[in-house]
Amino acid sequence: MDLATYKEDVWGREVILGASWDLLWLVVVAAFVVIALHAVILAVRRRATKPSSAGPRVARHSAVDRIFHWIMAASIIVLLITGVFPIIGLEFSWLTIHWIAGLVLTALVVFHIVRASFWQDLGTMWIRAGELKEPFDASLKPGKYTVAQKGMHAAVTVLVLLVIGSGLVMFAMIDTPWWDRTNAIAESTLGWMFLLHGLSTLALIGLIALHIYFGLRPEKLFYTRSMIKGWISKEELEANHDPERWAPGKSS
Amino acid sequence: MPSYDVMPDLQLYQPAELSDALNLLDRHRGEGWLLGGGQDTFGWLKDRAKHPRAMIDLNGIDELRGIRETDGGIEIGAVTTLVDIIGHPVLNRDYALLPRAAVRVASPQIRNVGTLGGNLVQDTRCWYYRRGLSCYRAGGNLCYADSPQGMNREHSLFGASRCVAVSPSDTATALVALEATMVAANPGGERLIPADRFFVGPDTHITRMTVLEDDEILTAIRIPSKWAGKRFYFEKVSDRRAWDFALVSIAAAMVVENDVISEARFVCGGVACKPHRLRNVEKAAIGMALSEESADALAPLAIEGAKPLNYNHFKLPLMQNLVRRAMRA
Repeated sequence: MDLATYKEDVWGREVILGASWDLLWLVVVAAFVVIALHAVILAVRRRATKPSSAGPRVARHSAVDRIFHWIMAASIIVLLITGVFPIIGLEFSWLTIHWIAGLVLTALVVFHIVRASFWQDLGTMWIRAGELKEPFDASLKPGKYTVAQKGMHAAVTVLVLLVIGSGLVMFAMIDTPWWDRTNAIAESTLGWMFLLHGLSTLALIGLIALHIYFGLRPEKLFYTRSMIKGWISKEELEANHDPERWAPGKSS
Repeated sequence: MPSYDVMPDLQLYQPAELSDALNLLDRHRGEGWLLGGGQDTFGWLKDRAKHPRAMIDLNGIDELRGIRETDGGIEIGAVTTLVDIIGHPVLNRDYALLPRAAVRVASPQIRNVGTLGGNLVQDTRCWYYRRGLSCYRAGGNLCYADSPQGMNREHSLFGASRCVAVSPSDTATALVALEATMVAANPGGERLIPADRFFVGPDTHITRMTVLEDDEILTAIRIPSKWAGKRFYFEKVSDRRAWDFALVSIAAAMVVENDVISEARFVCGGVACKPHRLRNVEKAAIGMALSEESADALAPLAIEGAKPLNYNHFKLPLMQNLVRRAMRA
């Protein structure tokens, strides 16, 4: 199975055409296997007592962050549907919806970068060497975010920046309300952009599948609730986080 | 360099039954090629721009040939030749729009062997694509025609989405105007597709021109009796009087009662990747009489939303004038 597909350009030279979409099925199967394995392992493990959601509450996500998250989720879902469905044979007029959703995602990411850089603590999401032991040592509790959540954030950051960067180059190749396409980008450059766009999309599909799975797992469901309602209970905080490293109210 | 003077290596199948043709198409899915009159096919093969492994000749299947009156109108087999359509008395009496379009297809020799189905499903004539360049329509990432140096005199005004090729079919415009239904056979049975939805633009599917799937065969075209005997107008403008594709064509069908239009369908060819309905013109025409005044009022509506390319602005006045001519008493 190839990573890329190739073609001959107008001069007869072989250039990259884009990602090989056969990989989509590999990603789907791989995500399914990982999820199934994880679910089986956790099912046979003894479950810890689930902390109660009742009682005092602490704020975990501000309204702005929650709105950002869900609009971003919606735009990525729209982008995946409009980008991938036509490839797997569900045909519809997808391009305009795709680039509009792409612009929404781009605006959101710019907003997030600015907000995180100037009004939030970037260190909250920084992965430190010591944190890598967290998943293997029950006595180590994370700060606001677990190392897995930070890893997911880092991976999604890289992939979303790649799809946006390559997508913006491809955006110059279509007619929009603001400009007529130039068709002035070399085929080989364009092929690389399609390849980057396609491979990042494939990786995002896998990551998003994992993200949704973990968001729906019973022991993690309180994180999803906090992304909807903004809060977790004090008991959930104490059971899952180290108050020395994250004291809600002192920092976001 | 490939040799251009011999046929490429491929298997020829000549089924006598539709079911056999469907089986062959299924067996060679993705590598099969349906042969009607061959007037589009042989160009592709000669230029080595398409590489089918199996050629399935539909001409031996009797049920795909002929013109039959039905309770609901008239049915034309997909491999009925254009010359048979041109000379058919019932078509000329009741559905004259189709023969008038068919008689403007190509040349007498081509009309003798060219089929209605072949004329409908023929591929676009964009020369960048037909030359074998790997453009969007051929699965690539570029449109050569819509580039600063691209020669796009014959290309689209409407509905372009990356690809700017146009539908070359003259009969397609007439059949969309006549509200025809396409009958497509597939291994599971048959599918009825309104002509309006049979042709597909690049926004939906950039590598093909109809909604026919790889395992489907266009078997017949049904024209409803609703339009029998109504007022029709067809005109095609091309660089040459014969053996040329439309720069712009118009097919119009109108119900005129007491000199007033009560229903109308105006369809232009050569301006989009599929037959282009002039919906604004159709709406505005209702209640109007056929006259110079109506013609002048409707003509500007024809080009609303047009996005001409570098070299095809001349199609705008052509479209307007064709609408004017269709509206003259």
